[in-house]
Amino acid sequence: MFVSLAPFVALALQPAPEPSVPEPAPVVAAEPEASEPEPSADPRASEGIPTAVVAPEPETPEPEAAEPASTSPQQPVADNERFTVAAGAGGPPFYDEADVAALRARHNIRTEAREREEGPRWRCLIADPACGRNIEVNALAAYTYRGRQGDVRGGGQGDPRWSSGRAQYDLWVNLPVMPEVVGDKLFSRMTLGPKGGLIFSDGGSTWGNLGMAFRYWLGRGRWAPSVEFSSALTFKIGEQQTKDRPEPKWMMTRGPVGFTADIGIGVGGFGAIVLGGQYDSPLAREDVPDSVRTSAAGAFFIGFRGNILWGAPAAAAVATHAITQRAVETP
Amino acid sequence: MSPSLSAIALSSLLAASSPADSADETDLVEADEDEDDDEYGPFFEEEAPSDLEYLGQPTPRKHPVLSVGDGAFCFVEGTYCKASMILSADVGAGIRAPASDEGPDLPYAQFTFRGGFAIRPAMIRPNRDKRKAWGAWGLGVVSSWSKGTGSVTVRGSGQSLTEEETNSTTVFRIAAINQIWLSKRKHATHLDFAFGGAHSDVLTSGVRLWGTHAEVGMGFGGWGGMFLSGDFLDRDTRVVLGFRGHGIAAAPIIAMALVGLAAGGAL
Repeated sequence: MFVSLAPFVALALQPAPEPSVPEPAPVVAAEPEASEPEPSADPRASEGIPTAVVAPEPETPEPEAAEPASTSPQQPVADNERFTVAAGAGGPPFYDEADVAALRARHNIRTEAREREEGPRWRCLIADPACGRNIEVNALAAYTYRGRQGDVRGGGQGDPRWSSGRAQYDLWVNLPVMPEVVGDKLFSRMTLGPKGGLIFSDGGSTWGNLGMAFRYWLGRGRWAPSVEFSSALTFKIGEQQTKDRPEPKWMMTRGPVGFTADIGIGVGGFGAIVLGGQYDSPLAREDVPDSVRTSAAGAFFIGFRGNILWGAPAAAAVATHAITQRAVETP
Repeated sequence: MSPSLSAIALSSLLAASSPADSADETDLVEADEDEDDDEYGPFFEEEAPSDLEYLGQPTPRKHPVLSVGDGAFCFVEGTYCKASMILSADVGAGIRAPASDEGPDLPYAQFTFRGGFAIRPAMIRPNRDKRKAWGAWGLGVVSSWSKGTGSVTVRGSGQSLTEEETNSTTVFRIAAINQIWLSKRKHATHLDFAFGGAHSDVLTSGVRLWGTHAEVGMGFGGWGGMFLSGDFLDRDTRVVLGFRGHGIAAAPIIAMALVGLAAGGAL
């Protein structure tokens, strides 16, 4: 018993430390010399800012294996971190950098500086994780494998399938549905919004489409990869018709509403490799005259979709559109 | 000296000053009055400040996008525009439902060009900041022209069926539009309600008649939106769901489509 009380007696008899300059704040509790905080742990100490230590809990050295723990003169081991409060601030407790670092570590909060400083280009007209609401105009150029079902009344005769091209021009309205906070900045992790536009293929086939476009960003940089998914209702607007005409002519054409969907892997908002399909519903109700009935049709396509502002996607789509019109003969 | 007394004193001094000087000093008087502004309530409150912002949209623009006169007139509808031009193109699809003895319901699709303008009659200025003037209500006039798919009629019964068909349907509309802007954020969402008349081909009659046009839409600023509209004419009803984009965004799409069709020899 006498041996274990000896350090406390020695501490009680130890003279008070000399006040530092400037005049220090009163020390709430003294610490053993061995448990003084590291100079680097408290930057205020090096700046001469007086500090008071709350809940002093000296760092517990590892007990020696040969010495029983019950005979150690050290104070009980604390479960929590030590927090140092700046004295004389005249406000709420203000913790130092080491305390903030401990809190960040406890809650797995990123400690490095913001990853990105530069903003997006073109006032967000090219999609970017650093943008909130924005719009973009995309153009798709794709190889397409088209097909059309035959008429069951004719024994299923005629079930053509052919290779073609597809050009699609869409306006996307991107709404940030899942923002991400990094520091004092917001980044879009996921966007979802309406979109619509026009689709073209061989034979002057023209569809309108309206639907939803989804993009999930896999990073926060300007060239961050992304996953895109869009789906839309599609409806025939026009095509080249030869009925009662020596030369084909593009005319308004009726068709029931079908749908299209695609998935893409993109880089920034600049472009994406896209794989998708389209289905055209048949118009074959009993009360519809034979002359306006249409068969079910569809297509699969793979191509490149990108923002028209940097030119290449627009040029590729227009070229695909023109070449498809001239080179592909619709069965 | 209280702010109100200082304003009176400053006003007295300004009355004796030259006109050139009074322009600048008047602003000081208004600034003093702002401190006594007793307007309070949900419609007079400014947007709550946020510590978070997108890197791409760091600060509110001083003026709405593509506007003149501090938002007095905007070429793209905006949250803080006092008057706006409406200019859009859209595609839509739906159904054409003729009278029961005129034939079956058939799919219908159209493309449309729309123009007009809208004003914000009741804009409230929190703290008299002209740039922050905002009102939920918008009122305007829109006119549109559409080209849609043709009509098919089947009349008679049994062996005496008569089928007729047209290539396309042209529609002209004019309507009053009411808008409700749902927030003060940039490019805010708004609901649009348009009611007016439609002048259109009626089925396969070759006659153009006036009917009723009604539309409910939702827009995102002035850049794009979706809508559900109907044209109700004598024995001819058309209902369409569509997507529209502002003319600035739609113009390159239309240009690319026309160039592609022309280069491909489809026109």
